[in-house]
Amino acid sequence: MIFTSSIFWIFLFIVLLLYFLIPKNSQWIVLLIASYVFYLFSGYGMVTFLLFTTTISFFAGILLEKINNNSKDYLNNNKSLTREQRKEFKRIIERKKRIIIFISIMLIFSILGFLKYYNFFSLNLTTLSNKLSVNLDLPSLQILLPLGISFYTFQSVGYIIDINRGKIKADKNFPKFALFLSYFPQIVQGPISRYDQLAKQLYESHPFNYDRVKFGFQLVLWGLFKKMVIADRLAIPVNNIFNNYLEYEGFSIFVGVLFFSFQMYCDFSGGIDIARGISEVMGINLVENFQRPFFSSSIDEYWRRWHITLGSWMREYVFYPLSLSKAFTKLGRSLRKTFGNYLGKILPTLIATIITFLAVGIWHGPNWKYVAFGLYYGILISAGIFLAPVRKSTLNKLKIKTDGFSWRLLNILFVFFATTIGRYFARADGIMQAGSMLKRTFSVYNPWVFFDGSLLKLGLSRHEYSIVFISILVLLLIEIFQENGVHIRTTIAKQNLLFRWSLYLAAIFTVLIFGIYGPEYVATDFIYQGF
Amino acid sequence: MNKLLEILSDVRPDIDFSQTNLLVEDGILDSFDIVMLVGELNEAYEIKIGVEDLVPENFNSVDSIMNLINRLKDE
Repeated sequence: MIFTSSIFWIFLFIVLLLYFLIPKNSQWIVLLIASYVFYLFSGYGMVTFLLFTTTISFFAGILLEKINNNSKDYLNNNKSLTREQRKEFKRIIERKKRIIIFISIMLIFSILGFLKYYNFFSLNLTTLSNKLSVNLDLPSLQILLPLGISFYTFQSVGYIIDINRGKIKADKNFPKFALFLSYFPQIVQGPISRYDQLAKQLYESHPFNYDRVKFGFQLVLWGLFKKMVIADRLAIPVNNIFNNYLEYEGFSIFVGVLFFSFQMYCDFSGGIDIARGISEVMGINLVENFQRPFFSSSIDEYWRRWHITLGSWMREYVFYPLSLSKAFTKLGRSLRKTFGNYLGKILPTLIATIITFLAVGIWHGPNWKYVAFGLYYGILISAGIFLAPVRKSTLNKLKIKTDGFSWRLLNILFVFFATTIGRYFARADGIMQAGSMLKRTFSVYNPWVFFDGSLLKLGLSRHEYSIVFISILVLLLIEIFQENGVHIRTTIAKQNLLFRWSLYLAAIFTVLIFGIYGPEYVATDFIYQGF
Repeated sequence: MNKLLEILSDVRPDIDFSQTNLLVEDGILDSFDIVMLVGELNEAYEIKIGVEDLVPENFNSVDSIMNLINRLKDE
């Protein structure tokens, strides 16, 4: 059941009706049933995996909290213990907790690992064994990936670690906890919420509030505009170029990748806007997943504005634990001895950065192109950190002003270019295709494709290009306002009734008339739904 | 306290730590310093400074670092 399909809107209408009509303290039950009905639409068998992960993380949470509480009580009741005895006790407790965390996370990750990565490993192991003349022939399996598995898996692992860190209390109500992991607007493609950001809001009652409902639907409409008017339209030339890349070269390919940048952003952030809008209607604030990433002036900043919840998950549960681990402390110390204080200080961070981005890449899917994608960003950000002092002194020597608009614009353009290069890997079928397309882009200089009608042969007419162009301009304008602190929906709410409703109707008709409805009016999938 | 000053001067020999109480906010200690410092402190004091403790208030001065260490030792 895709957000842009008519069946989803009928489903949502019924859910909202029930949500606001039943007694307020049962609203969460409506959400839970709705979420599982929504999930069942993606395949009956898939629910088993979701329930398994829910059960494991629920009981792991309770067990961890019990150990935390018991050990605190024990230490409080036995103040006479010597320091050594307390330390020994803590060590045993830590070990116990580590075993629970290890087993629960392994179980949860092994499902994701098996369903998502088995074929990748079997294929690569078979190829490798053939090269070594061992002839291992692992079968490849027809596996359907459960909806949202990469998202709810990460959410449940975050929950377990947060309890272990004492940041949150374990949920004692299984059905409520099941809602936290299955909440239908976000299960498709995130955002990856933390328990303390979302759970309480899901369990609380929310009375009908006209302003909130209005704002929520406006955000939904904005998401539909991005997805159906821009992303799905740009998909046509993008698919054309990527599926027949050997027929294109130079700027033709680059334009295709550029279009894909906008398609990807509008597809993913549009989907998130719809999820956040629906939630807002129901009084639930989902965390932001995008903050106008194309306005970033460094790659590092870009990853704090693009798919924010994945980035922050990785920072919190991969990067910091790795950087603060004993192994990394030891590594840092020995590097300091060999390379001096500065390099010894930054090298462990650079290694942790590259490992974290490798994880970001592999999270996207079982393909070498995602390994390359992760490495690309890891190395780019590490190079930025490594070269920061050189950059600073060069800028000083050349007396370049870094606080002006022109410098920021230059940086924004650089980041946009660098992320566009990264998208060759994100969209190509494999690493070889990405490499070949990169080569084909930069080995030919053919700016005339912009004027000789080549772009009109990609599946979009002049009229269609005008729609895309004007839509992106509107998007850009709105984002410039937002960058400058303007809250668009509040500003619109302050205008006269006539103006407001003309705007709403214009937006609704824009989506209805200019939206792309797929072949025979079948709604098109969201890209991140596949992850 | 002396042990802490020793560790601090090992991490950043160029700084007089007794002179400032805005080590993080004034940008004297950067995130790399903090990560390195945390590793050293964890080992030296046999404590576990976690991700949740990585906030500027805990690292702004020698005293606040000492408080953090004492708090974690008592836990």
